Amino acid sequence: MNEHREKYELEEKPTPFLNAWYQWRWPAVFVTLAVLAVMVTHSTIEGNWQKLFESPRNVQTFFRESLWPPDWSVLEPQAYPVCEEPKLLEFTCSTAWIGVLETLKIAFIATVFGMFISYPIALLAAENLSPAWISYPARTFLAAFRSLPSILWALLFVIMVGLGPMAGIMAMTIYTVGYLGKLQYEAIEGVAKPQLDASRAMGHGWLERSFGVILPESANNLISQAIFMFEYNFRHGTVIGIVGAGGIGYYINLYLDFLQYDKVFAYVIVIFIVVLILDFVSKVTRSLFKDDMTKKMHPFWTVLLPSSWVQRFDEE
Amino acid sequence: MYLAEHDVVVGQDLSVGYEKHNPLITNINFEFKEGQIIAINGASGIGKTTLLRTLAGLLNPVKGGVSVFGSSTIRRGEVGYIPQRLGLIRHASVYHNVMLGAKAGHTSAWFPFSSICKPVSLQAIESVGLTHKLRTPIRKLSGGQQRRVAVARTLAQKPRLILADEFLAELDEETLIMVMKKVLDYVKQNNAIMVLVEHDLNRARQMADRLFTAEGNKLVEIFNEEDEVHE
Ligand SMILES: Nc1ncnc2c1ncn2[C@@H]1O[C@H](COP(=O)(O)OP(=O)(O)OP(=O)(O)O)[C@@H](O)[C@H]1O
Ligand SMILES: [Mg+2]
Repeated sequence: MNEHREKYELEEKPTPFLNAWYQWRWPAVFVTLAVLAVMVTHSTIEGNWQKLFESPRNVQTFFRESLWPPDWSVLEPQAYPVCEEPKLLEFTCSTAWIGVLETLKIAFIATVFGMFISYPIALLAAENLSPAWISYPARTFLAAFRSLPSILWALLFVIMVGLGPMAGIMAMTIYTVGYLGKLQYEAIEGVAKPQLDASRAMGHGWLERSFGVILPESANNLISQAIFMFEYNFRHGTVIGIVGAGGIGYYINLYLDFLQYDKVFAYVIVIFIVVLILDFVSKVTRSLFKDDMTKKMHPFWTVLLPSSWVQRFDEE
Repeated sequence: MYLAEHDVVVGQDLSVGYEKHNPLITNINFEFKEGQIIAINGASGIGKTTLLRTLAGLLNPVKGGVSVFGSSTIRRGEVGYIPQRLGLIRHASVYHNVMLGAKAGHTSAWFPFSSICKPVSLQAIESVGLTHKLRTPIRKLSGGQQRRVAVARTLAQKPRLILADEFLAELDEETLIMVMKKVLDYVKQNNAIMVLVEHDLNRARQMADRLFTAEGNKLVEIFNEEDEVHE
């Protein structure tokens, strides 16, 4: 015992070099990173910095001439099929509403299916539950699902099952399994050791341990991850329509082709608002599954801030 | 290694630890008989928890071997382990946690359901005085209440070997005596074996039939009721 302690203390003895290192390591890391970034940029744009300084003006011109004002006709009912809703609900016949709703549906279905498929795989992939010869293949399996972004999966499924939301659902489900599975096995590995020790000593079987011990212990994490995943799937679901896999992306792509950028801009604003609402809803729902429910709620505008800032409010 | 009889827990030339070349407790021999309560004390960090984990089959011995009721592997339901940090499922209810013990003790791994589990669990919860907290999640209980849940889980399991790591910490005098009595009664009535880590020497002597103390790399027996009686 004592030998250990002495060795440890020796290692900790401060030298001038160590002192300087402890004091300056973070500034040094950041300066190095910044210099590297500038150097890489320089080589990537082949020294053509001129372009970089011209581009803001181009953006300005494009914005004034093509984007502004947004064309809100996308919120009006489509000409065909004829809208049969009462006047007040007419907006539900608009392409924006139909597109957003379809994207939400795709995201929801994909998240629910993905969650049920990924949990058993995550159990196999967790290192505190399975031996390495099971957990590594399971991890590789999940990583393979993640390796392609959902839009490429969508492209594959459009080829396989044809245009439409079905391809979108399948693509998003696959990606969700890969992504959520990783989050899940990390949550499972976070389950404290004594819990597993007690369970192992008692002689619990795989089923009891997975569903009686691990599931309740990590349930809060699993639920808040699923909500996060739904939000994520919605944001990415806006893109997969571009390859014909359903949702709002279909209309965006349509008007991009017609060069009607003011309509595209209206869609982008609609999506932005829905994302803000989802962000807020998911934040509130997730806060219900936190350990300490006494934590005070944050005002809604904090969804616009990075979460680390918001946490700082709590500490004060 | 040679496997001992079916009614004893035996350590033979046993060394425990986390590193092969640097075991914490080395070359110890012991034989715990049915009905015995064995207390272990010793300085913090000397390896008491490590020894219990080895007995529970959670850690392989660095050297030598352990035989629990004639087997080198742990059979379902035979060992009830109360870890130092309890190992309760914090987000689940008292009832759920105690049921996990009951299931381990009274069902098979392939079909973990039996009508006996419910009454056994309720009785165990009653015996530690937590019936009014049946549906409360563990994280909302006080430290002492959590310890009592861990005891109830082990009582509901009805194991033949109880390994308890400082299971009486944090309890007030009255509750402590109640919980202690429940566990000791269980051991004596069912002819089980209990190995417990206890820092308080007086209390250890009061509870245990045999008292070991861990010193350096050794486990020294400093008190054995049987010997005293024979003398
Ligand atoms: N998982 C682990 N891996 C490696 N070393 C460990 C591990 N757990 C404990 N140790 C080390 O083993 C030694 C003994 O730990 P142990 O928990 O058995 O002590 P203890 O006698 O139970 O102490 P306490 O009375 O404080 O609970 C300690 O030095 C500790 O650092
Ligand atoms: Mg300990």
